[in-house]
Amino acid sequence: MSKNTKPSVDPVIVVMLGVVLLAIAVAMIAFPSDSNSINIAADSGLMSQLVVAFVTGITTGGLSCLAVQGGLLASSLAHQIEQDYASQVGQKKGSKKIEVQRTNSAFPIFLFLVSKLVAYTLLGALLGWLGSYLTLSPISRAVLMIAIGVFMIGNALRMFNVHPIFRYFSIEPPKFITRYIRRTAKGTDTATPVFLGFLTVFIPCGVTQAMMATALGTGSIAMGAALMFAFTLGTSPVFFIVAYLTTELGARLEKFFMRFVAVAILILGFVTLDSGLNLMGSPFSLQNLTRAWSSSPTESAPVADSGQPVERGEIYLNVENSGYSPAVMTAPANTELTLNLVTNETYSCARDFVIPKLNFYMLLPATGVMQTTIPPQVAGTTLFYTCSMGMYTGQIVFEEQ
Amino acid sequence: MLKKTFKIPDMTCTNCAMKIEALEDDLDGVKEINASYHKLEMVIEFDETKWSDEQIIAAVKKKGYTAITT
Repeated sequence: MSKNTKPSVDPVIVVMLGVVLLAIAVAMIAFPSDSNSINIAADSGLMSQLVVAFVTGITTGGLSCLAVQGGLLASSLAHQIEQDYASQVGQKKGSKKIEVQRTNSAFPIFLFLVSKLVAYTLLGALLGWLGSYLTLSPISRAVLMIAIGVFMIGNALRMFNVHPIFRYFSIEPPKFITRYIRRTAKGTDTATPVFLGFLTVFIPCGVTQAMMATALGTGSIAMGAALMFAFTLGTSPVFFIVAYLTTELGARLEKFFMRFVAVAILILGFVTLDSGLNLMGSPFSLQNLTRAWSSSPTESAPVADSGQPVERGEIYLNVENSGYSPAVMTAPANTELTLNLVTNETYSCARDFVIPKLNFYMLLPATGVMQTTIPPQVAGTTLFYTCSMGMYTGQIVFEEQ
Repeated sequence: MLKKTFKIPDMTCTNCAMKIEALEDDLDGVKEINASYHKLEMVIEFDETKWSDEQIIAAVKKKGYTAITT
């Protein structure tokens, strides 16, 4: 009787490498070495959102999803492995040549992930389509971002077991769905992991739910689908590796991973919340608070670097790839002002310019000067401005001249 | 059939509730289990002639959780 022989290359590793390489390929497309390509990619502001979605997926999404959906995959795999083992024992009894069929433990994970990718892409398209019927103003987007931020922070605190109340930040899927999914997970054919992967749309994790809200906010079928595709693709390598490791190592590392996920979600939650506050024009966002505390020097006579003459009642703001310059400027109170927004090969989201208090929103051209009128402001007023993602901020302080 | 509530303090996510509910497929004589991560408890409807509290606690323990009678 021949001994059990392992294949020279473990198919699990091959598939895992394939998924990782695919993820790297997408990352390379998103972050090409050619700087011009970066500009083109960021031109619409959409590509940068996809990159953020992908990075979110690869950093926290995979682990977070695994916490919710991993059980399904594990139970499916366990059954598969059990079946393999039973067939091997059967072969042993028949004194036939035995080969360890490790392909069976990798293939279901692969099918599960591909199916999940397709399902979430379709879900993203659906959400984007729904979002197209909802016109989200910067303020409503800000409210949505704050809600998402609070949801993420609540989930992180739940994971740290801070207080029982935070358990309610975890959405419990309806019993009939979990029961149906669980019973389907007991199947052993190829269709089972495919079907299970598809069903994961009904049990999204906290980070996924946040991404779904973002897809809704895009208001576009294509963008919603692309966003969820990028995010789910990002989750796949981590999901695959951890699913494989946990299948192999049991729950030993689970506690460590969950703490890691909790910290990551907490940080992302605060960033999202802060972006929402920025987008709302709140003086209590971290950036605006630090600016107020640091009492950074202001520029009272902002001059555009594009050579425009500065006239009375006109102020200039340079909109750059890295943010706004000057970030803080003073302007005369009780005077109607013309704000000149100067872009010069600006491709970042900074050109998606918002003044929340004035309910002003404009997508600026990559290069050029756009104007808007600022009505007279009382001395001491601070007008906050930001990009549409709440990332880049600045303020105009109105003073008596 | 007897309906009973057990506290399960070591559930950490909704997936734990799903795992515990899987017992209704594994245990003959158990009609229904509704586990809640929010409440950290499970409500089990079972045939008391086939299952005792101790046996149910042991079955939950096999899933990796601690069940406590209320």
